[in-house]
Amino acid sequence: MSPVLYYFLSLTGTNILMCWSLYLPYRVGQLHFLTVACMLASAYFSGYAARELSWPFALILIFGVLIGALICLIPSFTIGDAPCFTVVIVGLTVIFIFKTAVENIPALGGTIGFFGIPEVKGLLPLTYLLLAGAGVLIYKIDHSRLGRAASLVFVDKATAAATGVDIKRLGMFFQIIAGGLAGLAGTLYAFLIGSLFPEFFSLGIIGTFMCMLFVGGHTTMWGIIASIPILEGMQLFLPSSVASWRQVIYALTLIAIVLMLPGGLITKRMLINLTAKMFNRSDTGKASGTIDKCIK
Amino acid sequence: MLRVEDIFVSYGPIKALENININVNAGETVALIGANGAGKTTLLKAIMGIQKVSAGKIIFLGEEITNVGTDKIANRGLGLIPEGHLVFSTMTVLENLQLGSYNNPNCFNDNLESVFESFPILHKRINQIAGTLSGGEQQMLSIARSLMAKPKLIIVDEPSLGLAPKVIGEIFNILRGLNKKGYTILLAEQKAKKALEFVDRAYVMEIGKIVLHGPAQELISNPKVHNAYLGSKI
Amino acid sequence: MEVFIAQLLNGLSLGSMYVLLVLGFNLMLLVAKIIQFAYPHLVVLSMYVCWGMLKYTSNVFLVILASIGSCIAINIATEPIFRLLAKRHGLDINVSFVVSMSMTLVITDIMSHLLNYGFPIAFPSKWIGKSVIGFGLITFSSGQAYALFGGIAAVLAFFYLLYRTRQGRVLRAISENSLLSSIIGIPTIKTRVISYAIAGLLGGLTAIMLSKMLGSASPALGDFVGMKIIATSIVAGLGNLKGGLVCGLLLGITESMAIGYLPGSWSNAISFMMMLIVMLIKPEGLFGIKA
Repeated sequence: MSPVLYYFLSLTGTNILMCWSLYLPYRVGQLHFLTVACMLASAYFSGYAARELSWPFALILIFGVLIGALICLIPSFTIGDAPCFTVVIVGLTVIFIFKTAVENIPALGGTIGFFGIPEVKGLLPLTYLLLAGAGVLIYKIDHSRLGRAASLVFVDKATAAATGVDIKRLGMFFQIIAGGLAGLAGTLYAFLIGSLFPEFFSLGIIGTFMCMLFVGGHTTMWGIIASIPILEGMQLFLPSSVASWRQVIYALTLIAIVLMLPGGLITKRMLINLTAKMFNRSDTGKASGTIDKCIK
Repeated sequence: MLRVEDIFVSYGPIKALENININVNAGETVALIGANGAGKTTLLKAIMGIQKVSAGKIIFLGEEITNVGTDKIANRGLGLIPEGHLVFSTMTVLENLQLGSYNNPNCFNDNLESVFESFPILHKRINQIAGTLSGGEQQMLSIARSLMAKPKLIIVDEPSLGLAPKVIGEIFNILRGLNKKGYTILLAEQKAKKALEFVDRAYVMEIGKIVLHGPAQELISNPKVHNAYLGSKI
Repeated sequence: MEVFIAQLLNGLSLGSMYVLLVLGFNLMLLVAKIIQFAYPHLVVLSMYVCWGMLKYTSNVFLVILASIGSCIAINIATEPIFRLLAKRHGLDINVSFVVSMSMTLVITDIMSHLLNYGFPIAFPSKWIGKSVIGFGLITFSSGQAYALFGGIAAVLAFFYLLYRTRQGRVLRAISENSLLSSIIGIPTIKTRVISYAIAGLLGGLTAIMLSKMLGSASPALGDFVGMKIIATSIVAGLGNLKGGLVCGLLLGITESMAIGYLPGSWSNAISFMMMLIVMLIKPEGLFGIKA
């Protein structure tokens, strides 16, 4: 496999995981950038445990996920139902603190970076296998009682609370799952790429994830799968002089999409229409059709 | 003075107002009566440019004001007193009145004197925070604030909403006084009896349409109105 | 004791800069109902304008006019974007955050690609000026003096404008109830543009004073200051102007004390840590949300 393709597939895989970890808390209206801090912590933990302590990969993977979930668990006791903007700034602050810590700890490579994380054979197929597993998990959550409750919270918190939804516990649940996903993404990223730089975990990467989420469409879990390969692939095919402006390209794309297509490229209504067409004769199709009329 | 010609308003696919025609002449008092959800507030919002009109014309003092910005309509002399006695609750009574005279700050002092004549209670509370006033006082402040702009037509939306019966009487007395001073008043009110006792003419609205209109005395004796809005007594 | 006094003076002048930015940020939040995350980045950009102007002219008046003017102009130029956004999404401050955060990426990338080849800029020593007081460890540079006294004057002028003038009353009216404001004839769009202009003016003034005080700037400065300003606004309570005044000063003093008594690279992390703890304990802020 050519290095470019390997790099593309690796980043696509971890980015989908990260964007799902942002998508899940956004179901209850929270932009949970703390997951980027989870990714950072798990990635550095994995690198250190593999290179210095020679832990086996499977154990590191489990610990990576747990670390991610734990980092989200602790603050979720107070920000489980906090307003979106407070959650955003808590996330950014923790990322900054973690970054400063990494930059000041020589054992983690400081500002120079952390290199030489041992390779794991057959990791790329395993990554996509885990990705599929994560997808099933999110699909199950989306189509459960919790997913429906989340949709209600997103639209109107007061009504949701009046209907008996425990907003705080719901938010906590989504935040912790998101942390676990981000921990998984961090561990996989560390092993797939083999080196870590604190500069990677900056506002730029958050902007990139946000662009992927909102361009794809934040109303369903499938939008991300459409947007990430395009946005990730774009920088491979563009000439390097243009690709160095990719941050600006992402940002302008995001602004344009938010202004022109408020729901992103793929929206929930589109999917409902699609299923209605595919199963036109069956009962589910009719049901979806009626739902669609109701939405309209 | 105000002429609404064949206007239509829709919220998405739902038609909120259909083919509405009303007319207010200078010096008159006119009421819109109808149950909750009949479209009275929507009509007032459409006149003020808060709600977009999809078809039809609204003409005020010979000029078309359909879908013009709300602030521009207000500055042409339409004073809306919104429902729920809305005031700027973090500011003082004086500041509320100062805001009312936004478009003619030069005659602020004259206006203030005449407003305090009509509302002596506000003079007493001039430096009090508006949010701490009682409901009736807030409604008076709301009326006083719109008078500060010297409007040519006062539009009152549900002045009785959420007020005690005794206070409602007071508010209607104030409105009657304003009409005697020469103000033209358009009133939207659920309490049909109160409204019909007060106005010269009225329009009866039902689910987005005008079903009846005529002089108030005629409507009071109309058996249909009587059954639907006034109760079987009288 | 000398270190303490020196750092207190430092902290006060730094804090007054934070206060100005927190006020400008909150003004736009209250009146225009947006989170302008890119506001501190615009301030850094107008520091670059100031630096660029200094290369071509020694006319101080012209330099100040250019950097304040650019800050106001760019800030007003973002208004149509947010207006269109409000039309599409309603007044949703979260979406305005997403858009303004994208703006920060654009501004930072422009600074790090095009201006001074991405290297930090240094202001000429003539612009920075000499130290006014030198007494042992206590030095008070003219830049700090400008920042402290200019900051106090600007804050007083801001509160005078907001609470004692007709324009300020109108701004407060819109921040409380924009629909009611338009019903009584206040032009909402024009007033919103004015709030952008006032925030731009505060930002431009801050840029001038920061350039005199810090003597340098870099593309990353915007992210730093941006996160501090917004974290401070949350700690104070979003939209709470008086809380922002207190917390902005506190942040400046804390930071200077951390620089005075702790190893350098950790001082930023410590102020962030403190803000994080407050945000986790009191997500609604110390003084309560007003927006």
